[in-house]
Amino acid sequence: MKRSALLVAAALLAAAAVVVSAGAAPSATPGVTARTILLEGTFPLSGPASGYAPIPAAMKAFFSYTNAQHGVNGRQIVFKYDDDQYNPPETVQLTHKYVEQDHAFALVGGLGTEPQQAVEAYLNQQKVPQLFVSTGATTFDHDFTANPWTIGWQPDYAAEGAIYGKYIAKNLPTAKIGVIYQNDDYGGNYLSGLKSGLGASHLGQIVSAQPFDVTSPSPLQQVAALAQSGADTFVIFLTPTATIQSYVIATKLGWKPAHVFVNSVSGTSTFLGLAAKSGSAITDGSFTVNYLLDPTNPQYNSAPGMVLYRKLMAKYDPSGNVNDQLNVYGMAKAWNVVQLLKGLGKNPTRAGLMQAARSMNFSGATANPFLLPGIVTRTQGRYQYPISQVNLVQFSGGVFKPVGGLVDGRVLPK
Amino acid sequence: MTSRIGPAGFAALVVAVAAAPLVSTHYRTYELGFVGIYLAALLGLNILTGLTGQISLGHGAFMGIGAYTTAILVVDHGWRALWTIPVAAVVTGLVGIGFGLAVTRFAGPYLALATFALPLTLTGIVKRFQGFTGGSLGKNLPLLHSQLGLRTNPSLWLYIVAWSLALLLFVLAWAVARGRLGRSFRAVHDSEIASTANGISARWVKTLAFGLSAFYCGAAGAVFAIGVAYVNPDTFPIDLSILLLTGVVIGGTGSLGGMVFGALFVEFIRTTWAPALVRAFTRVTTVHVNTHAAGSPQVIYGLVLLLVLFAAPAGAGGLARRLADLVPRLRRRAPSLSRPSGL
Repeated sequence: MKRSALLVAAALLAAAAVVVSAGAAPSATPGVTARTILLEGTFPLSGPASGYAPIPAAMKAFFSYTNAQHGVNGRQIVFKYDDDQYNPPETVQLTHKYVEQDHAFALVGGLGTEPQQAVEAYLNQQKVPQLFVSTGATTFDHDFTANPWTIGWQPDYAAEGAIYGKYIAKNLPTAKIGVIYQNDDYGGNYLSGLKSGLGASHLGQIVSAQPFDVTSPSPLQQVAALAQSGADTFVIFLTPTATIQSYVIATKLGWKPAHVFVNSVSGTSTFLGLAAKSGSAITDGSFTVNYLLDPTNPQYNSAPGMVLYRKLMAKYDPSGNVNDQLNVYGMAKAWNVVQLLKGLGKNPTRAGLMQAARSMNFSGATANPFLLPGIVTRTQGRYQYPISQVNLVQFSGGVFKPVGGLVDGRVLPK
Repeated sequence: MTSRIGPAGFAALVVAVAAAPLVSTHYRTYELGFVGIYLAALLGLNILTGLTGQISLGHGAFMGIGAYTTAILVVDHGWRALWTIPVAAVVTGLVGIGFGLAVTRFAGPYLALATFALPLTLTGIVKRFQGFTGGSLGKNLPLLHSQLGLRTNPSLWLYIVAWSLALLLFVLAWAVARGRLGRSFRAVHDSEIASTANGISARWVKTLAFGLSAFYCGAAGAVFAIGVAYVNPDTFPIDLSILLLTGVVIGGTGSLGGMVFGALFVEFIRTTWAPALVRAFTRVTTVHVNTHAAGSPQVIYGLVLLLVLFAAPAGAGGLARRLADLVPRLRRRAPSLSRPSGL
């Protein structure tokens, strides 16, 4: 009798210990330990899209800086990323690994429209944050009801297209627009934005719209059609290689449009410089948009964000190219992530992270220092476009000069 | 292809396949499911390359055709995923025969170049007919989930489907190799002139080899689409075709059992083995390798391939055979049936 009583007592004690320790155990949130938070992301580090490889390196640099400043609420950020080569099945496999093997707290900055679309349903099913995807495809911001665990970050393509449309309608109301656009969602997003920015009354300004298949070897046929259409305003919504080709072909055909608008993905000093070197005479004067501090423009040299950027690049990513704005992009995004994490306090949860991402207000004194002064990061209720303000800029003498002040691609809620 | 190991070896494979999920995490099972998919594809490519001696640099495209067939049937026509597998295989097989008829007038390197056009053409066709294929945006299939009343986690479901298919196709490949068709394939491999002189139409045999290998890859592609739950033109790049060929060579052209190793290679080389090799290399030589450099995976495969061709030209299958030779009992009584494989 005594022995069984002892056994029962031991069993009860053991059960109590389990129950108590279960309560005292660190939160059961995956990816969060007493000392660390695990963030992971897939990026094209090799293959055709490897030009974007600086982004995760810069993100890591900023996270290292944060960790050196005692991390986030006593935890160090562990950021791991892998190469998916912009190949969706690779993205799928790596994402499964992050969720099922590594148990990451959140997936951050995953790059590429199609790669991230391939994993969107899975991540939402698994209730893992797909935070701040690196793509401007409007769907990632727009479809938050269907995909509550997914959110974009940068100004979306439709908004950018709308900005060009609004500018043209206001400042070039008699211009004849010839637009070449990539024949897929990327180009389609931009084009529909352009049309909505022009508005019904100015839609007729588009005299020719030429779709271009990214698999076609050259946009010769399309650019020739635009040149012959009598357009005096050339709008380019293509990825970098095809953009450069379009610039060169236009000059070879003897077409000198009075105005050129190029989408921000391809409108960088690197690509425009390449186009000029390859024989294009119309790169100077090209309009595009910009929302990040520009390391090649001396006017931003004294901005606190630029000072911090150069300091962090020198310390944590010395082999990176300081003049590559993609590094600013990476740091700006990482800054945003850190702000969200800080706000989650001692017991971060995945749901808490998404809630925070959907009710952001970083403006004024709390604005993202790596964005152009005055740009806010806001999401609330049914408005889920974190960044939608940009500066229209004009390429001149190798530098982008701002044209006017900030423009809003979307209507910010009051 | 020799069956030195024979039914005993196959039984061992079946046991290993059945046991693996019991000792693996969900994610590892998911990865091993893809090994099964690649095995099906490699068995097919092996029929063309190992048996019939024709090099193809485009068999990833046949996986793509199978995958798109499944995607279109499931997403646009509401088919149950499993039923699409045989359809995808047959459709792809027919395309393979059509393609074979077109290119088998060429021989050797010219044929290889012609097959290179396959993946490029597929991408172009998919983007051109975007109403039908979903274009660049691709198609999202329903997330992987178990069916047929089995309630298993999705990873295990993929594993079961992939390996059931792979083992079935394995047996089929073995039967083909042993039969008359296999002998025709080997005859054409040895000498097209001699086989034609003996009444075998080299062109028809090669075409059939294309068709059969495409059938295999189509089936593999169908399961691939089910597993990844997404297809788009970027899903089957040239890299995949080259990786499949590399897998066949590393497995050992002509060796069925070697294909299992080839499939493991295709699945694990990029994510697991290459980084591990690089880390070991760095530790041994203290030379820092930038694995994030553009083109670095291709460089690594190339090096691995060269290494294998140098050290073990007959691939894993050849190595296994050499090891088996050390055991007198496993030596075949009729040595003439064993043949060195190779391209």
